[in-house]
Amino acid sequence: MNKIGKLDGKIIDKLKGIVGGTHVITDQEYMEDYSHDEFSLSDISRMPEAVVKPASVQEVAKVVKMANLEKFPLTPRGGATGLCGGCIPSAGGIVLSLERMNNIIEIDKHNQMAVVEAGVTLMNFYEAVENEGLFFPPHPGEESAFMGGVIATNAGGARAVKYGVIRNYVRGLEVVLPSGKIIHPGGKLMKSSTGYNLMNLFIGSEGTLGIITRAVIQLMPEPRESRSLIIPYDSLEEAIETVPILMSSKIIPLAVEFIPKDVIQITERFLNKKWPSTDGSTYLLIILDADSREEMDRLSETVADICLNKGALDVFVADSPQKQEQVLEIRSKIYEAIKSITLEILDIVVPRAEIALHVKKVQEVAAKYDIWLPTFGHAADGNVHTHIMKVKLVEGRLIPFPEKEWVGKMDRVREELYQDCKIRKGMISGEHGIGIVKKPYLSLVLDDAEIQLMKGIKRVFDPNNILNPGKIFDLKS
Amino acid sequence: MNIFVFVKRVPDTESKIRIDHKANKIIKDGLNFVLSPYDEYAVEEALRLREAHGGKVTVFSVGADEVNIILKKCLAMGADEAVLLKDDTPETYDGLRTAKIIAKVLKDKFMDYDLLLFGRLSIGADNGQVQTMVAQLLDLPQINVVTKLEIEGNQGTAYREIEGASEKVAFSLPAVLSAQKGLNEPRYETLKGIMMAKRKEIPVLPLEDLGMSAEELAPLMEVVNLESPPPRKAGTVFEGEAEAAAKKLAQFLHEEAKVI
Ligand SMILES: Cc1cc2nc3c(=O)[nH]c(=O)nc-3n(C[C@H](O)[C@H](O)[C@H](O)COP(=O)(O)OP(=O)(O)OC[C@H]3O[C@@H](n4cnc5c(N)ncnc54)[C@H](O)[C@@H]3O)c2cc1C
Repeated sequence: MNKIGKLDGKIIDKLKGIVGGTHVITDQEYMEDYSHDEFSLSDISRMPEAVVKPASVQEVAKVVKMANLEKFPLTPRGGATGLCGGCIPSAGGIVLSLERMNNIIEIDKHNQMAVVEAGVTLMNFYEAVENEGLFFPPHPGEESAFMGGVIATNAGGARAVKYGVIRNYVRGLEVVLPSGKIIHPGGKLMKSSTGYNLMNLFIGSEGTLGIITRAVIQLMPEPRESRSLIIPYDSLEEAIETVPILMSSKIIPLAVEFIPKDVIQITERFLNKKWPSTDGSTYLLIILDADSREEMDRLSETVADICLNKGALDVFVADSPQKQEQVLEIRSKIYEAIKSITLEILDIVVPRAEIALHVKKVQEVAAKYDIWLPTFGHAADGNVHTHIMKVKLVEGRLIPFPEKEWVGKMDRVREELYQDCKIRKGMISGEHGIGIVKKPYLSLVLDDAEIQLMKGIKRVFDPNNILNPGKIFDLKS
Repeated sequence: MNIFVFVKRVPDTESKIRIDHKANKIIKDGLNFVLSPYDEYAVEEALRLREAHGGKVTVFSVGADEVNIILKKCLAMGADEAVLLKDDTPETYDGLRTAKIIAKVLKDKFMDYDLLLFGRLSIGADNGQVQTMVAQLLDLPQINVVTKLEIEGNQGTAYREIEGASEKVAFSLPAVLSAQKGLNEPRYETLKGIMMAKRKEIPVLPLEDLGMSAEELAPLMEVVNLESPPPRKAGTVFEGEAEAAAKKLAQFLHEEAKVI
């Protein structure tokens, strides 16, 4: 049904007529950037036929209307920090980049809500919000992501333990439908029981139902105190087994991350920065917030007691902004440090009481296939990022192994871990989305009836299948 | 070895500084205060020297009660004692006044020391005067901006980065040294340390008990104006296809910036 292949010159001219000549890119070299996201293997990349950069919702609507009329595929793109190929134009056609729609329209202190355009980066958003003394809790690890992309993937991040994922903070959207119509589901409202909640359908829809152009975001008062605890353990089991005890102690940390020492050391070298401790083999990184110093001391003391009882070697404290930043930077740059040797990042989420067992399975699989599977992530919300690597780690040294060896292993490792995820009643994506990379495994964790409903919804919104076709599922299969 | 470290409470470098133009003061409300980072290197070095040679580390700060929080931090890092030299006078930015107070304390009250450690300057005021003045007032050897330190018996060697070279200086104890970035990597406090520090008393030595005259304590200088630096200009973005944008950039560099 789609026109796959060259968009003709007339269409390009019309696009230029809508957004302005300089904002339609057809230069191959320049478009290279728009052919991939942060997923590490290049075999899923694809060059767009053109990149179009609208500056307003009206321009977006005109471009989408045209795509619908001429039936060419259109893939919305945010910061392209996605990890499953979501913004890759895999069916050809154009990439619609929201990069020019980067205005923070308003930070409404009375309603404690912000109105942003889809192309605002997380980094700029945090800064603006902090300048007003407010707080935006979700924190996906890569701050060059766009608000639109973060919403379209229902991103999570470390702080989700206490504050939940992005869905909990979206109050309203402005969306351009595949027909070119503009709708405004939700608003500056704390609640609504007025009909179906269409807004929530777009959150996590990965650009398949509509183009998000604006969002109303709930903010919170800034907690006065924040502190990171870095807690070394001799074994991964002890570290992970602490987590359920911690969570049943009436303390809700912002974040509870578990990280093996070997990846910390690689990242320390990569950044030339120091982690607070060299003890043990695994760390818990626990971030707390509180309204007073006394409260913070009380919380940290309780956490420390629980951890030390479970075998923690010590409890290090980062409470100055610089120290907290240093620790967080090391945590969030792990991916950059090991990206070039990573084949794929899994995003399995299991009920949090299952996490220790799942991680144990990862270790068994690693041993069985003699492959390095560094695993870390959001221990307290059950979301584990296992990295499938193309190197082995032998006594702290990275030893590459040949492609013909990892190619076969990679699929078998993934398959076994997804089976374990299914047994534990988990899902194959906790926060990154399905995109194209995880598409073959959707039916492993979702009922056919659910998938058929999703396809039905897609058909209602996008009868011509022009919006990001081939993502999440294939309509035909 | 008996080591004294002198520390100051300063606004965190990430804080947005706002100025009260009427009073010529920094607005403290909303500022986050921390131990001056160079002082933190000094504390860390003192702890390492103690770990290597034995002895005792005592930390001093001149200021009002609110500086207790950084003294507690030093205790949490592992300092043995902390003393508040209580001075409720608002910040004068007069390094000599602070130096006179410290020298007086060291002459009359705490006379037993081998090393006096300072940060090379306190961020915020950026004066870097106090350590040198204290050395002068006590007639002690002093080495500033130290990036490496070795002590053997009552002899020391300090290294400092100077333009294009590293300078190696020998001295005998007691001496005054100031710490530069690179001297060490300060440790993180442990929770045990913080809890111990919380329970520890910090003795207070009020300024009045030093018997200094009003004349001695009067600042010799006055800050007459404070201005925020002008905001940085926004960058210029050349839009469009690579070729056209490059042309505009070249034109700009040639005609307006006049660099090519
Ligand atoms: C180092 C690193 C750390 C990360 N850490 C986290 C983490 O902690 N938690 C987490 O959840 N994710 C994390 N991610 C993944 C990624 O940052 C998030 O998925 C992010 O939400 C993607 O935003 P983006 O703007 O880059 O989207 P893109 O990659 O550009 O697009 C993602 C999807 O959204 C669609 N889309 C983009 N904009 C719009 C729009 N305006 N309207 C409709 N659809 C749109 C795209 O078509 C695509 O399907 C991390 C990635 C990296 C590289």
